[in-house]
Amino acid sequence: MLMIRHSIGSRLLCQTNIYTIEKKDHHWLISLPVDVETASGILNFQDELNIFEVKENEKIWYYSSDAQINFQSKEKQLMILADHKTVYPTQ
Amino acid sequence: MIELYPAGKRYTVKNDWLESNLGFSFGEYYDSSNIQFGPLRVFNDDTVQAGKGFGIHPHREAEIVSIVLKGQLKHEDNLGNAGIISRGNIQRISAGTGVLHSEFNASNQEEVQFLQLWFLPNEKKLIPSYEDISYDIEQLHNHLLPVISRTGSDRVAKIHQDLTLYLSKLEDKKTLNFRQEAGRKIYVFNIEGEISINKDSILKSRDAARITDTHEITIHGNQDSFFLLIDLPGGEF
Repeated sequence: MLMIRHSIGSRLLCQTNIYTIEKKDHHWLISLPVDVETASGILNFQDELNIFEVKENEKIWYYSSDAQINFQSKEKQLMILADHKTVYPTQ
Repeated sequence: MIELYPAGKRYTVKNDWLESNLGFSFGEYYDSSNIQFGPLRVFNDDTVQAGKGFGIHPHREAEIVSIVLKGQLKHEDNLGNAGIISRGNIQRISAGTGVLHSEFNASNQEEVQFLQLWFLPNEKKLIPSYEDISYDIEQLHNHLLPVISRTGSDRVAKIHQDLTLYLSKLEDKKTLNFRQEAGRKIYVFNIEGEISINKDSILKSRDAARITDTHEITIHGNQDSFFLLIDLPGGEF
């Protein structure tokens, strides 16, 4: 499961099981389908986003320190190029 | 100008282990007209029940200050810091590029009350760091005691922002004066008791004042009081 949250207070902006994460050199390209309204809500806080991949016993925290985020409106696809990744246990 | 923010008008988050009174937009509370005051971005007045707390979670790009008012707060982070702070301690975390931490009530008997303030840092991508200090409670009496500043010093935590945070215990009928450079801002939060600022602005327990374009203030104790004052930079943030 993937969650996109606001970094100040952790408000949930998007949650989905449909996503891909692709390693690109020192970055991670996170892609997910979203509707226009959800994309707008996320883009409003593009400098303050935390992305979490939630697994059974661990969470993986990503963020893009330079707000590299793009919404392809035709395909309704959100693309985030993260430059930070930290894995930590859920307990 | 002195703008008063009464305690009762704060947004409250409450569940079976936490009561959080929010001075600014935070989490589920979002008000575009109440995002920040200068670099002061979060001012949470939290009460956590015995044995409960916040599990491991990340922060980034924030200077996080915790001031315990009652009880004991246990902290652990991925920088290797662990400890318990109580009244008389100040904790400062520079989240920078990212820190993971947990915060729990260290007691299984009594609640912990603490203020948590987040400031925007004056520089991005800082190396994460942690500090806790003990201030001299005796020095609070009728005196503005600096406990956090840009430069830091003995018993003053260092923060990555051009600000100074003072604590004071002001006795009934006593007065303190504060002056800052023109163009800066002042934030006052009355923790306990009742104070007045420049005679007419009265702050009861947990009320706040955001002060702009007024760089010299007189604070009067209408009763024995405990308050904090932050000398903040002006300009856009």
